Amino acid sequence: MSLRSAVVVVVAFASLASIKAVLTLDNDGERVLCRYFDPAWMASVKEQRAFEKSLFTKTYRAASDIIMLEGVTCVYKSSVDLFFYVIGAPDENELLLSFALNTYFDALAQMLRNQVEKRVVMENFDVVALALDELVDGGIILEADPAVIVQHVAVRNNDEVPIAEQSISQALQTAKEQLSRSFLK
Amino acid sequence: MSKKDEDGDYNPYASIDKSAVVQEARQAFNETTINPRRCNLVLNKLLFLLYSGEPLGTTEATETFFAITKLFQCKNITIRRLVYLAIKELAKVANDVIIVTSSLTKDMTAKEDMYRPAAIRALCRITDSTMLQGIERYMKQAIVDRNPAVSSAALVSSLHLLGSNQDIIKRWVNEITEALNGKTLMAQYHALGLLYHIKQRDRLAVTKLVTSQTKGSLRSSLAYCNLIRYAVGSMQDDPALYNELLQFLDLCLRHKSELVVYEAARAICSLKNVTNKDIIPALSVMQLFLTAPKSIMRFAAVRTLSQVANRYPTAVAVTNIELENLIQDSNRSIATLAITTLLKTGREASVDR
Repeated sequence: MSLRSAVVVVVAFASLASIKAVLTLDNDGERVLCRYFDPAWMASVKEQRAFEKSLFTKTYRAASDIIMLEGVTCVYKSSVDLFFYVIGAPDENELLLSFALNTYFDALAQMLRNQVEKRVVMENFDVVALALDELVDGGIILEADPAVIVQHVAVRNNDEVPIAEQSISQALQTAKEQLSRSFLK
Repeated sequence: MSKKDEDGDYNPYASIDKSAVVQEARQAFNETTINPRRCNLVLNKLLFLLYSGEPLGTTEATETFFAITKLFQCKNITIRRLVYLAIKELAKVANDVIIVTSSLTKDMTAKEDMYRPAAIRALCRITDSTMLQGIERYMKQAIVDRNPAVSSAALVSSLHLLGSNQDIIKRWVNEITEALNGKTLMAQYHALGLLYHIKQRDRLAVTKLVTSQTKGSLRSSLAYCNLIRYAVGSMQDDPALYNELLQFLDLCLRHKSELVVYEAARAICSLKNVTNKDIIPALSVMQLFLTAPKSIMRFAAVRTLSQVANRYPTAVAVTNIELENLIQDSNRSIATLAITTLLKTGREASVDR
């Protein structure tokens, strides 16, 4: 990159919208929860899928946590059978992207009792979606403290006690309900 | 995904079907007595669809949107929060979304703190200029609300709305300044960004904002990062400020947050005519980052160095030993950047090794 563009970029990216996308893919590279925030970037689902595919191919085995791909910076981390990505403009502060990724991941880990894996994420999809909504609003980092995100999301009503806090009989009841639900579908 | 089913892998959304979800939503949300548990499940499916599947068409989206408005009768907090999420997504495609304005305005001003921030953000997604004038009073109050989440929600929403509503939002400068000087870190970050964007076209006002804040008491690291970016802009607009703001950047190199330290170092490296002497402290920071255990820090440093090496090959050459060690880095991007940087700074001696 030339000097000139490097200088211009720092000023142009004075915008607060530093995050282009937050993606969660499973270990087949399939979408779990993907949100794109920059309408000018990867506007169509087709483009998004192609990008995710190439991102996944390049990252799922590599033991690192940052990559430049198709002109954007992607920071990522994996957990059991999931891959989490935060994507920013090429000249966004890499540490800031990584900071956002860690905030999101830590919030999820706290809410899902350290079971950040596909099954649990799917079962608690509402919680995960709300956490992401508390983290980023239209590409702008809304909250940086995982504890605050957890506090904002964890507004379960009394009739919905989180699995980890249920007694065995309650857990059995929930399991039964979930089973019958999946049969009734 | 069907393969997964045979494996017995639990995935309630494996066989999710767009039209079935739309149908289910219409049935569940239109019942006379709303069943929160059932609605929650349907909302989960709907959100999964919106966040991961193909987008809904206008008719489907509008139909679903109208079904969802029925859920405002339900007092369940989780349901309400999910309704906001769905509204924000569906508002991009559905027609006549302003129908929920009064419900959202009610939630935005409710006593229930759990509703307010999310309601503000949802409301601002469906708001246009005429409606914004209608809620202006509430927005100004929200910006200075004692609940930090409410304040941030209002500030960030204002930023999104700023483009076509400059004249209205300009009138909120006093409230925004109050948030900037408040105690909440995130609100500081959002308020500084909003003020900057409001004043962006007025050079003098930006300069005033930047110089006052560099002497001020910002505590948010994120806000600091942006202040550094704004400072670089001011330095290039007004050479008279160059030395004063360079001193500020230099001071930021000793900030307690590495986020700020790196932002300041790369800002100094990006300055057009920075002298060899002035760039040295920034390069020392980069040198330190090159040996950091976190690969993101090594990557950040080597990338900045590769950009600045064209202009300051001799100054960057002091980091050659660290760069040589990175050629073997497990992260291939880091290794590649290290090699290309060395090609710009290296001498025969290092090529031999």
